[in-house]
Amino acid sequence: MDRVNVPAIKLTGLKKRYGTGDAAVDALKGVDMTIWPGEVVGLVGPSGSGKSTLLKCLGAVIEPSAGRMELAGDVIYDDGWKIPDLRALRRDRIGFVFQAPYLIPFLDVTDNVALLPMLAGQDNASARKRALELLTALDVQHRADAQVSQLSGGEQQRVAIARSLANHAPIILADEPTAPLDSERALTVVRILNDLAHEYRTAIIVVTHDEKIIPTFKRIYHIRDGKTHEEAGEGRVI
Amino acid sequence: MINLASRDVLHGWGKFLFTGIGLGLLIGATLTMAGVFRGMVDDGQVLIDNSGADLWVVQQGTLGPYAEPSSLRDDVWRGIAGIAGVAETGNAAYLTIQMAHNGKDTRVMIVGIEVDRPNRPGAPPYLIAGRPILQGHYEAIADERAGLKLGERVKIRRHDYTVVGLTRRMVSSSGDPMIFVPLKDAQEIQFLKDNDALVNERARTAANPVFNRPGVPGLLEAAQASATQARSVNTVLVRLTPGADPATVANEIQRWKRLTAYTKAQMEDILIAKLIATSAKQIGMFLVILAIVTAAIVAFIIYTMTLAKVREIAVLKLIGAKNRIIAGMILQQALALGVIGFLVGRIAAGLWGPAFPKYVLLLPQDAIGGFAIVLTICGLASSVAIRAALAIDPAEAIGG
Repeated sequence: MDRVNVPAIKLTGLKKRYGTGDAAVDALKGVDMTIWPGEVVGLVGPSGSGKSTLLKCLGAVIEPSAGRMELAGDVIYDDGWKIPDLRALRRDRIGFVFQAPYLIPFLDVTDNVALLPMLAGQDNASARKRALELLTALDVQHRADAQVSQLSGGEQQRVAIARSLANHAPIILADEPTAPLDSERALTVVRILNDLAHEYRTAIIVVTHDEKIIPTFKRIYHIRDGKTHEEAGEGRVI
Repeated sequence: MINLASRDVLHGWGKFLFTGIGLGLLIGATLTMAGVFRGMVDDGQVLIDNSGADLWVVQQGTLGPYAEPSSLRDDVWRGIAGIAGVAETGNAAYLTIQMAHNGKDTRVMIVGIEVDRPNRPGAPPYLIAGRPILQGHYEAIADERAGLKLGERVKIRRHDYTVVGLTRRMVSSSGDPMIFVPLKDAQEIQFLKDNDALVNERARTAANPVFNRPGVPGLLEAAQASATQARSVNTVLVRLTPGADPATVANEIQRWKRLTAYTKAQMEDILIAKLIATSAKQIGMFLVILAIVTAAIVAFIIYTMTLAKVREIAVLKLIGAKNRIIAGMILQQALALGVIGFLVGRIAAGLWGPAFPKYVLLLPQDAIGGFAIVLTICGLASSVAIRAALAIDPAEAIGG
């Protein structure tokens, strides 16, 4: 399959129901979504709208109830998981950036980033080399040997972004990555994500409430009551 | 691959080390209990070995001389010495007393031995200072744990004794240090009545018309003299000729002399299997309880350490770490805790063991066995934390 013209993410009628019977809650009621490689897309919605559920389904952390999910042309869910090793899928093809960086506190900066390729089977030297490349790209190479606790919030978030890219994942799921940051640092993070998407052809979904960064997206998916609708964003250049 | 366990330990090494030290003190107490048991067994063993005997001849039907009272006339050795296979005999008397020394009471075992020639069965096989007993009365050889010094005079019952020799690891089965004295003195200490009792006894004998008969001169004096003579011993220790079968000689003694004779193996059974059996069970129970407590504490520590890392474990699972990596991290930490705990415990037991009033014997094989048990306990205890870690949902790393 020609991967260039294949969506990085394609969701068709994706549903998620929690519970059964009268207690059942439909968190996702048939989500359709297409995201292309190199795109940074915003996912916006009020609390309880289903943003986190959608992110967890995309991250193969929870199983959808119905629908179809494709990653880079591979069907990974079609009314049931189609890939046996979901952990390997997450490790090799999906990068995660969280609201808080959630770095491993007992590893230094380099090893936090190098851990992912090591988990994928790379030797320590090449994994650390890859980590240093990413830290340099994100301009935190000078903190490579530092402990996580010695970093500022912005630096920690950059390291977390570097970690998400460490295995050349074609998709990054970012869950409110700018929430703990001030305006300047928040916009810096968004700029970094845009640069990375452009450079590595990575598709990035950014879940956010942050009014400061919403205008930077070219496409935005609004989610409300488990359903999404798409609209064009301002695509403001930072 | 990075060793996550060691990185985590190094990151919080102070907390980990202090936890290990705390666990180590508990393990030290457990090892000490095992050492106390071994010490008891060893006390019994050295009592047998140091007596230099192959057979113990005691009063018929008793488990003497250590486990039960036994009384023999001090001339029965003559008959025993004539039995084929017997090389040498030695009368011995044993008595445990409280001895006042330097203003405090010391519990010692008085051992009466024949001193007419050296190396009689029953005599201490070696001295660390001084000389053997050469006088028939009022000389003593003391185990160093009795706290006596060479040349010191010590009062035992009615008489003062001069310490002429010191020996080591000569203790009773209870761990009390031995003081060797001439047999006649020991018989007096053990069997002779005090002066008031003797006066009273003489008066009673004199008032008895059977002993104080007119026309039988010397009868009362003979009866009185007999009352003040101590002619009993607790055992006759027998050394066999080379090649003699102990069981055969013991059977001969029992058959012809109406006495009971125990071989070394039988005496070990009496001392170790019977005499200290209850204490051994007591210590065994305590060891089992300590092992359970150790397991519970290790499990609790590892479980708490794991729960403190819920978010990190969720992240690890989210980014694709396999279960075996997470389980390995927890298991390695539990084992590391066990290693630190064992080392601290072994050192602690070695330091405080000699301060115990009774002999604490820490055997290398017990240490090796204890190490294996500690690691097994830590491994099993970590399973609780591993179960908890594997149940952590990677979704916990994602908000909402």
